[in-house]
Amino acid sequence: MSFLDILSEARFTVTEVALRLDAVQAALEPASGGTGSAGGAALFALNRNRNRNRNRNRNRNRNRNRNRNDSAGPDLSIQEPWKERARLHELAANWTDLPLAPPPDPDQLRHEALELLEKQHRLRQPEEALRREEILTEAELELSRYLRPLGIETTGGFEATIHLMLVLMALTDEVGLRYKARWNVPRPNQVEPRLRPFIAQPAHASYPSNHAFQSFALAFVFCRLLPEHPASSELFRSARRIAENREWAGLHYAADTQAGYELARMVTPVLEEVLEPLMLAAQQEWF
Amino acid sequence: MPDAATTVIRPPYPAHDALWPLVMMGVLTADHAPNGWTLPAPARRTRVALIDTSVADGHPNLDPALSRDLAFDLFSTRLGAFPWRASDAPLDNLQLGDSAAAVAGLPHCTALLVALKARLRPGQMPRIGGVRPATRATFSAHGTAAAGLIAARPARARTEEAHLPGDTDGEIALPFMGVDPSAELVPISTNFDPDPEALILAFLYADLIGADVIVLPRILPDPLRTVPEMPAHDIDGTAFADAAAPSPLGQKQWEMWDELAQLIVNVSLRRPVVCAAGNANEEFGIYPANLAADDNGVIAVGAVNARGWPCSYSAASGLTIWGPSSDGERFDRAEVRLDVRRHDYDPVGVPADNANHRFSPFSLIATDVPGRGGYAASPFPGPEPDGDLREYGSYYCRFGGTSGAAALVGGFLSLGRSLGHWDRDDGGIAARDWLLSRSKPLAAERGDARIPVLSGEPVFPDDSTP
Repeated sequence: MSFLDILSEARFTVTEVALRLDAVQAALEPASGGTGSAGGAALFALNRNRNRNRNRNRNRNRNRNRNRNDSAGPDLSIQEPWKERARLHELAANWTDLPLAPPPDPDQLRHEALELLEKQHRLRQPEEALRREEILTEAELELSRYLRPLGIETTGGFEATIHLMLVLMALTDEVGLRYKARWNVPRPNQVEPRLRPFIAQPAHASYPSNHAFQSFALAFVFCRLLPEHPASSELFRSARRIAENREWAGLHYAADTQAGYELARMVTPVLEEVLEPLMLAAQQEWF
Repeated sequence: MPDAATTVIRPPYPAHDALWPLVMMGVLTADHAPNGWTLPAPARRTRVALIDTSVADGHPNLDPALSRDLAFDLFSTRLGAFPWRASDAPLDNLQLGDSAAAVAGLPHCTALLVALKARLRPGQMPRIGGVRPATRATFSAHGTAAAGLIAARPARARTEEAHLPGDTDGEIALPFMGVDPSAELVPISTNFDPDPEALILAFLYADLIGADVIVLPRILPDPLRTVPEMPAHDIDGTAFADAAAPSPLGQKQWEMWDELAQLIVNVSLRRPVVCAAGNANEEFGIYPANLAADDNGVIAVGAVNARGWPCSYSAASGLTIWGPSSDGERFDRAEVRLDVRRHDYDPVGVPADNANHRFSPFSLIATDVPGRGGYAASPFPGPEPDGDLREYGSYYCRFGGTSGAAALVGGFLSLGRSLGHWDRDDGGIAARDWLLSRSKPLAAERGDARIPVLSGEPVFPDDSTP
């Protein structure tokens, strides 16, 4: 018997409330009233799909957080994500020894530091005023570069999406620090003392850049979560700008940025497993 | 108690056949029999490469279509990983073709082809350096929907834990089908980083494995070609694309984007490349649908609704062909097309001279990720019991856009190949010409849209009047 014969035994009908599975007899001879539900094994599947409301969702609760956002911005503090961290540690074998290239040799680092000297000069020119402002903003935990492309910066109703971002930042911080400790690469101004970092320099090693790693990790995870969003590629551009701003600030070599990118790409499969419940919760705010 | 004056009873949505697109395209008859065709038993199944997100496995309608050996993920591993092969079993001979002609004159593509072929040699491992593929089923909604529209086949599923009314233990028929239920579907997944390298590798892989049809239901984030008028502009001496980029692209990146465009055209001469044309009325389509031309095999696919009108979001002219899809609402200067059945439909401000009669509420139904993930989530917290169906609700979802239409057209081409209507050696232009020879125009006032019709005349199933 061909699998095509199954089509003559039963059929799916899209109704207002469900995808109804009918034996063909019931489907061809609908009950009086025209709903044809006799014999149907109706399940309320399709009405859980909120695709149709995607645009309208963006208006949901638009004013709810306005006062808070206008004054101090969203509250970015979270409880320690112990559950996710425990899962991350269970999967340690999958992320502690990824094939990330070792850092450049000292001669190459000196070469890259010269490029940073050029950026240092250009950063002080009037046309880089915007970048200076960005560097200052991005020195602290800050989400506007992700929230703004997604269109949810001043909108309530996306708490799970923001929570996901914050937990991702917390977990990836730890992952990046492990790799930094492995190679213990000196910061650029230790190689080239004429580099005067534009902002305070973190106390840990240079390679890979955690700003790059965490920003790209967010972009990679988000395009698993919501690839259809028009901003799914824009988040990568945001991430690259954030990462490069750390070079302009004299804190990171270009090699650090590239390593952060590569680590983020390789660690995403682990993150989508560790963060699955939070990603599903975030997805519900969009579907 | 509601105020009677403000309570409006909306007309009900019409119930409709979930397989209406196949009936509309003359693939199935109204009672779901194959419309004048029988599937031969070919030496090799028609192979469709789907370049999209990953695809979920574990779906009874979809599993028989998926190539577990060839599915390839370029999301997390630069030169790709095989998500469904045992990670400790070296690759066997993948029977790859020769893609030299596709990369002729393209130095970056040539270098990537050399690297990719070395990576795919027998004896190489499915995963490189312990990096896992980013293909978790939960987050594979888009690819799963597109895959099912192309190649799902009717199936039976065990229902021992099924949450269904009545005594349903045993087997349940799941009468869902894509356009070519005999096709072999190869998911090729990438991330959405605006970097041409993974996309070049995706097309090279599709070419190497000898895909008969390539389906691309997405935009590629080329810095220029997404907006074709961009290259002609500059702002105070700065190229428009540079001015729009927060970080400047390097010379190599620019060259690789150029090469990718040429590679897509080259590959399309060897096998049809079916592209979604975009969901914002883009003239000539998004990139790379906008590469479609008489002298290549790129096929730009728009969308037509179940009433026989171009969908509100789809261009009505300038594309290759239009496939069935869900409609959308629209309220702008060019057209007012609203869903008057919507529970919160507000007639205030809607001009009397509107196109609401064109709107169709018929939904494209596609396969969805089983269980918790996907567009239609299961209410049950755990994964499906091993090999069993718990409820069929999470297996299907509403889908739409030109992604859905492109998947259906890709499936239509695949069915044509499976039925021997065109030959894989004919190349992409001949495949496109066969497709056009099996198409019918819409009514004259409805743009230049044509839809594929395998046999007979198109049947537009939504004749409901709200």
